[in-house]
Formats: sequence, C-alpha cells, structure tokens
Amino acid sequence: MKKIFLAVLAISTIALTSCSNDSKDDTTATGNGSLKLEFDNVYGAADLALNTEYTNSNGEKVKPNNVIYIISNVVLTKADGSTYTVPKSSSYFFVNETDEASTLITLPNIPAGDYTKVKFGIGVDQAQYDAGADGQGDLWTTAALPSLGMTWSWASGYKFVKFEGTVTSTTHTDAPYKVHTGKTGSIYNYAEATLDFPNNALVRTNITPQVHIMADVKKIIDGTTVINFEEGLDVMGGTKVQQIMANNVPTMFEAHHVHND
Amino acid sequence: MKKILLLTAFLAIAGCSSDDDTEYQNLPIDYQVPSNFPPLVYDLSRNPLTEKGFELGKKIFYDGRLSSDGTISCGFCHIQSDAFTHHGHTFSHGVNDASGTRNAPPVQNMAYQSQFFWDGASDHIEMLSMAPISSEIEMNGNIIDIINMMKNDAKYKQLYQQAFPNAPIDAEHLLKALGQFMTVLTSSNSRFDKYRRGETGGALTVAELAGYSLFNAKCATCHATDLFTDNTFRNNGLTINPQINDVGRYRVTQIPQDKFKFKVPSLRNIEKTAPYMHDGRFFTLEAVLNHYQSGVGNTENLDPILNTNGTLGIALTTEEKAKIIAFLKTLTDEEFLTNPKFSEF
Ligand code: HEC
Ligand code: HEC
Repeated sequence: MKKIFLAVLAISTIALTSCSNDSKDDTTATGNGSLKLEFDNVYGAADLALNTEYTNSNGEKVKPNNVIYIISNVVLTKADGSTYTVPKSSSYFFVNETDEASTLITLPNIPAGDYTKVKFGIGVDQAQYDAGADGQGDLWTTAALPSLGMTWSWASGYKFVKFEGTVTSTTHTDAPYKVHTGKTGSIYNYAEATLDFPNNALVRTNITPQVHIMADVKKIIDGTTVINFEEGLDVMGGTKVQQIMANNVPTMFEAHHVHND
Repeated sequence: MKKILLLTAFLAIAGCSSDDDTEYQNLPIDYQVPSNFPPLVYDLSRNPLTEKGFELGKKIFYDGRLSSDGTISCGFCHIQSDAFTHHGHTFSHGVNDASGTRNAPPVQNMAYQSQFFWDGASDHIEMLSMAPISSEIEMNGNIIDIINMMKNDAKYKQLYQQAFPNAPIDAEHLLKALGQFMTVLTSSNSRFDKYRRGETGGALTVAELAGYSLFNAKCATCHATDLFTDNTFRNNGLTINPQINDVGRYRVTQIPQDKFKFKVPSLRNIEKTAPYMHDGRFFTLEAVLNHYQSGVGNTENLDPILNTNGTLGIALTTEEKAKIIAFLKTLTDEEFLTNPKFSEF
C-alpha cells in the first residue's frame, strides 16, 4: 500500500496542476457524470496493513485483522452551495479492508458541476430505522454475507463499524479484541463526517473525479476517546460505543486530494 | 372490528379461488384501530396492508425452510391457540434442539408495540424478524439462502409479485410481508374489550369488576392502557437465577441502570400464555400474584413502585388476588385464538 500511496501523491501533483487548467466555471457543465470516493485506511501516520502491530497512545499494542464500516447517505456540495443527495436506497456501502473493490465507491448520475465537499454518514441513520425495512432492499442480505458479518442480532440491525484484531497490554498477550458499534437501545450512534476537498471535483459527462479519502482507523480506538482494552476486550455497547461514534469516528476521515480524470 | 372480521371471511374465499390467477387484483385491507386501543405505533403508510401481503407473510411465518435444518418456522414457537407463544416451554428450543434462555412472548397486537423482545433488542415490527431468523438458537437461517429459495419457488414468486408488484424478491419485502401478517394478528375481542366498548357480550361479573379496580390501583402504572404495557423496561423484583444471569435491557444498552430490567409485557390472553416472566419461572397466575405479594426481591434497579419505604412488593389479600385473576381471565380472546385465517392449515 505504501507504493500506491506514493504513486497517488505523484498523480495528485499532476492532478493539482491539471486542475488549475481545468477550472473553467461550471455553469457551462451540463449532463450527468459519476464521482468516485476512495477509502484508504491508514493507522496513524502509516498505511494500514492487517496483522501488523501498532502502538497506541496508552501503550497498548494492537494488530488489527478486520476493519469494516458502513458509509451512507452521501451528499455532495457544489461551489455555488447547491447540493446533490445520492438517493437513500442506493446510498449504503460496506467498506471492507480485505476487499479492495469495496474501498472504491462509484456514485453514478451526478449532475455535472464543480464540487467542493462531501458529507456522509457512518452507519445507519435514525430515519432509516424509523422506516423499518422500507427502502432497505438487500441491505440485510449484503450485511449478512459471511465475509462481512455486519448484521447485529442483539439489536436487530447492523454493525456500523467493526474493528477487530489482537492486543498486547499489561495483562494480555495477543488477546482477541472486538469493537462493534451500532444502535444501542434508543441511542442511534450514527456518525457524520463532512470533508472539504482540497481541490474541486469536476464532474463532467467525460470526467469522473476520484476523491482520495484517508481513513485513520487508529482514531476509532485512540482518538478523543481512548479505548483501553485492559478494561475489557469487547467494546460492543454502552458509553464506550457512544463515545467512539460521537467523538472519534467523525474525525477519522480526511479528503486528501482529488483526481479529475 | 366487524369490518376486519368480514374481510377475514372474504380473504379466505378470495385466497382459494385466485391461486392460479396471475392477473389477480390485490386488495387493500381496511385495518381499523379498535376504539379502546391506543394509537398504532406502526406507520402503515410505508407498508400498506393488502390481502396478498398478509398471505405472503403468513406463508413465511409458517415456513420451516427459513431455518437451517428446514423444520423450525416462526409458528413452531409461536402457536396460535396459545396466543402465539411456545406454550408449556419455559425456554423455547429451536434448531438442533438448542435451547435459549428466554420464554417466547405472545405475537399479538405487535403494531401497537414500540419495543420488541424482553430486552427491546428491536424497536421496529419489520426489523425484529432479523433476530429470530439469524439467531443460532432459534432458526439459524441464512437470509441469502432464504431469498434464493424464495426466488426459485413458484408459489413464492407468484405471491411476491401479487403482494409487491414490480418489486424484487428481497429481504426488504420479506420483512414487510411478515410485518403485515403480524399487524393483522390483532386480538381485540375479549370479553374485556367488549365491556370497554359497551358491546354485547361484554358483561363482567362483580368479582371481575372488583378485580379490574384492584388491577387499576395496583398494577396499571406499569401494565398501562388496554394493551397493558407502558412499553418501558422495569425490574419487577424477580430473584436472579445465577446460572443464567440474564441482565435484560443491559444486554442491549450496557448502561448499568438497565441491568435486570425487562419489557413490561402485555397481559392479553394471559390465561393462555403460561409459563410466565422472561424466563418462564411461574406456571400459574397464582404464582405470579404470590410473587408480587411476597416474592419481590430487592435486586439491583428494582422498580421504586415495588419498594415503599423498605416494604417490598404489593399488598394483596388472598381474596384480592383471586379477584385480579378473575379479571385477568376476561382478557382471553377466543375469536383470536381460533380464527382460521391465522392458522397454519
Ligand atoms: C425457537 C423458537 C422461536 C422461533 C422459531 C421464533 N421465535 Fe419469536 N420469539 C422466541 C423467543 C424465545 C422470544 C423472546 C426472545 C427475547 O425476548 O429475547 C421471541 C420473541 C418474538 C417477538 C417479540 C414479541 C414481543 O412482545 O416482544 C416477536 C414479534 C417474534 N418473536 C416473532 C417471530 C417471528 C416473526 C419468527 C419467524 C421469523 C419467530 N418469532 C421465530 C422464540 C422463537
Ligand atoms: C413496577 C412495574 C410493574 C407492576 C407494578 C406490576 N408489574 Fe407485572 N410485570 C412487570 C414486568 C417488568 C414484567 C416482566 C418481568 C420479567 O419477565 O422479567 C411483568 C410481568 C407480569 C406477568 C407475566 C406476563 C408474561 O407474559 O409472562 C404478569 C401476569 C403480571 N406481570 C401481572 C401483574 C399484576 C397482576 C400486577 C399487579 C398486582 C403487576 N403485574 C404489577 C412490571 C410490573
């Protein structure tokens, strides 16, 4: 992944140069195009590699082996402030570290224009829970795929973030830990992130911009709220899950650069 | 309610004659909220009830192919004549005879309920079916296999098409059909209901009426409305079985104040739904009343209503207990328990 990262940097430099040439005003842009969101998981300052040991601020050493999260309800904002909301029924995505295809989300039928930011949810929102099965299509079937395992039977719903691995701490040596977040009782724990693009994403009938998003999964457990696995290897409910979703997850994403080609 | 009954009869007839008719016109079900009920919780506008939606839901409810071993349907544990409970089973057993640790509650008037399962693990009538189907103990079903089975079954293909024209056979519509079936499972014609609505057949005896007053005074804070639940979670003082140590609502929220709290259950058809409580520990209503009178334990998060200045439980004389039980038996709704429209065959 490091190599890719470097390549991406190189390309982005080109993209940056080319984009200044490209930034004609978008009032002329018509028709629909597509936009891609690429989720690149990192661990702090390093690219994420599964089964590799990372040390957290509390001294605990974790080796993640499974990272999956739900990205939902994507809204794109244009330079003029107008927004495009991806239809809810086609706006739930499972980003799975072990399935590279799942980390690149293609959004079709986007009105041409210059986009400046993206907002998305992490998890399933209250409106969807209130709607029950309505509009869920195959969400359950997908979540139930053995490769994902993102249904959450104890809450008749979905895991929003699944972050598993092993941990070595004062009393544990390579002990399996599990962080599962989702709706807990009447608390929805749905998180949102809004990312400004460092350069505009120019959606055209013949240009499909790709937004490269860095997702720092370290922040899930080592952010504003620090999870100490010493206090318990399973984090699946209660205030810890609420804090992870409220304080940590919204800050883990960054739009690093945009390719317009 | 008469309307529903008439429709019921009509459904039964229409159901048989139209089996092979692909041009079949799906008819809406005109669902009326009984006048003594609280308002519906379920927003039917997102899933309008239809004859074929109900029929599809019923077929799914009674289909053992939803479970991994092909034998356990929803109806296996939720039996109509027992108000859709697993009568006589303290703990329901599911696939491979695996046994859970909770007693199956009745499936009735679900569209009025905002919290499902003893711990409120679900709060939507459509979403709740994800739990039994995926549960290793109950059905251990794989939704992907189930949808594939339905896509390859002629009868399902026809019913889905009729119930949800132009919609795919998918998890969303499976859940909606079950939601429709459970909504129509409305029990509202007990003698008590008729009494409340001033209908014929609604005469209560002096003892039953006395029991109703006692119930209102001593039980109705928790067992509220004509559905007998306030949809909250409370600890009614059951002593904790250390072998199971069911923490109740805490399992869902992991909030310490929720430990040992369970959903206040509806008491409709209570005569028919023994054994009682989340773990089925009491076999008779007498045992339940004795619990409230003298068995309440001061466990963590005991409901304050059951602890007045250190005196635990509810003051009840033998006579009062008998009257309350007489009242509880007026909640039995034979029409519901025997309605052929709800039955498997
Ligand atoms: C193996 C037995 C079993 C099977 C099969 C089963 N259930 Fe249940 N059901 C239970 C038990 C036990 C509970 C209580 C579980 C709990 O509270 O944790 C329950 C609870 C429920 C509830 C909640 C009622 C309330 O008042 O909260 C509903 C509704 C329900 N089941 C519907 C269904 C449906 C629909 C199916 C088929 C998809 C099904 N069940 C299959 C045993 C079963
Ligand atoms: C503090 C609230 C509260 C009060 C007061 C209360 N109950 Fe309950 N009741 C509950 C809860 C909660 C449960 C379920 C407990 C469990 O299973 O863990 C329950 C369960 C029951 C059950 C078993 C239902 C079933 O389906 O298994 C019966 C019967 C019952 N109560 C009758 C009564 C009667 C009669 C009274 C008055 C004498 C009464 N309750 C007073 C909260 C209350």
